[in-house]
Amino acid sequence: MVSQMKLSHTAAMILQAIDTGCVYGFSIMEMTGLPSGTVYPAMRRLERDELISSRWERQSIADAEQRPARKYYKLTAAGRVTLEGSRKRYPLLQRMIPSEEAKSL
Amino acid sequence: MNPALRLALGGMNRVFLHCASLLVSRDQRADWRREWSAELWHMRRSCPPSELLSWKAEQTAAAFCLGAFQDAFCVWGIRRQNREIAPSQHGSAGECLFWLAGLLALSWILACVLPGVYVESHPSHYQINPGLVLLQSDLFTDSSAATITGQQFLDLKASRQRGIDGLAFYRMTKETLSPGLHANPMWTVAHASFNLFALLGGAESFVALSSETSSGLPSVVLSDELWKREFSGNPKIIGSVVRVGRMAARVLGVLPRGSWRLPGRADAWLLQPDTEISRSAVGYVVAHTTRFGQAEIYDDRLHINAFVTDDPDADLWGVSFDERTRGPWTIFRFAVFLAFLALPAITSVSLGESCFSSHRPSLARNLYRWVFLSTKIVLLLSIAYFASLDLSYWNATGYSALSEYAQLASSFFICLFGMRWILLDQRERCPVCLRRVTHPAQVGQASRTFLAWNGTELMCTSGHTLLHVPGLPTSWFGTQRWMYLDTSWKFLFAGTGVG
Repeated sequence: MVSQMKLSHTAAMILQAIDTGCVYGFSIMEMTGLPSGTVYPAMRRLERDELISSRWERQSIADAEQRPARKYYKLTAAGRVTLEGSRKRYPLLQRMIPSEEAKSL
Repeated sequence: MNPALRLALGGMNRVFLHCASLLVSRDQRADWRREWSAELWHMRRSCPPSELLSWKAEQTAAAFCLGAFQDAFCVWGIRRQNREIAPSQHGSAGECLFWLAGLLALSWILACVLPGVYVESHPSHYQINPGLVLLQSDLFTDSSAATITGQQFLDLKASRQRGIDGLAFYRMTKETLSPGLHANPMWTVAHASFNLFALLGGAESFVALSSETSSGLPSVVLSDELWKREFSGNPKIIGSVVRVGRMAARVLGVLPRGSWRLPGRADAWLLQPDTEISRSAVGYVVAHTTRFGQAEIYDDRLHINAFVTDDPDADLWGVSFDERTRGPWTIFRFAVFLAFLALPAITSVSLGESCFSSHRPSLARNLYRWVFLSTKIVLLLSIAYFASLDLSYWNATGYSALSEYAQLASSFFICLFGMRWILLDQRERCPVCLRRVTHPAQVGQASRTFLAWNGTELMCTSGHTLLHVPGLPTSWFGTQRWMYLDTSWKFLFAGTGVG
């Protein structure tokens, strides 16, 4: 089942990065330090497994800021459950990429 | 860094992205390229201004773009996996319609190629004036036999007939027909009254009837076959003089193939005045009936008292030509009517829609199912029409009674057994996805029929339904039933696109 899916460390890092608010590919690259050839394929597989979902930013927002529109990613409910399991499996995950709540503490 | 070099390197990055995007399927390509272009733009903007024009920034951008190839490979792999686990098209509604459409296209192409079908499917070529009948002696039963002598025709024409206002005579002979004096093969020539084609009607477009007596010579109308074989299809032959037997005649026109629907097969029609008609020769008489005469036609037959000189008691029958000019569409409609009448005799007309629970597919699904059934029927009828014409006129170049019977029989059987197949096929299609149910499994034992059901269970490979067909119909389980599967069955069909 999806909730019992065991993720690789890289995939878990990407999930953790998205959970911390890095919602597009390049910001995940910056947060994790992983190259583009690792991050984007991993995100495709996570999306295929319905752990993350994507949506395009509204064009009007991008136009207002004079930049191209970006594709944003967010965790699904299944992704959140899987991330919880991965945090137990990889205890250092939250230290490497602290979540917003952890940062505020 | 040189701005031109920087521009070239930027172009190279875009080429990288473009090349990588070719690995992505066409429907995903635009979206994929848009995302990578946007990411590249943001990546460049993230560089500190001090490094913006440096080699390091360009290296970083190039490495970023090279990563696009790995991503494109990944998208391509995911796509291929999805295709492998997606349910195949085998047994789907689309596959069924595809094959039916293929058969229709094949039969239609054949119909376009076969000359006999072409002639039959253009009724304008053989339409004749309404109210025409073929007169025959009541001593003969064969409607295609020549039964009336030239003398009888002349007597009939001289007598007053309230039901008839036009008469024409023709008889068949074997004669040579050539442009010159040299010997030629024999052809069947119909010696006919001048007014034959005027009476038949529809010939004005290809026969110059008004010039029939202007030259003082008899006129001849050629058949399409004779024109092509003897005169090599030369259009300049019209108006020239040819020899018919020992007689010179002027060519009036060429009759299109399939236009001649009257009894007797002729290669040419020699139009002569009534005074030239041989009184002893036996031939055919065509008559045009008045309104009064048409009112007296019963069962396609009109009774006429001949009052001829040599046999005052002889009676004639006028047989309507409707049978010969009704065209293939009328025959096909009749065959379809017969097939639908006979259908309940060979199969149940039920669609087998009963189910175990009160669950019913949505209105849209029901509509989809009915549209599919209607499409199948329309395709089958179209196939039956063209295929029956192909079979009937495969070897014929025009009308024949045998071809008509062949068309009636082939249309009937194609429609009858085609409709039977359609109903059987529809009963074995999942009401939700219209895919054929498969994997038959025997359930229960025949010896325990009254304790538990026995029969065959089939399943929809998309996981929507199970079909139970009783092996031995009983009062409590007489016909097939559908069992709709709820979401608890979903995991069994995981990976086959259930949803």
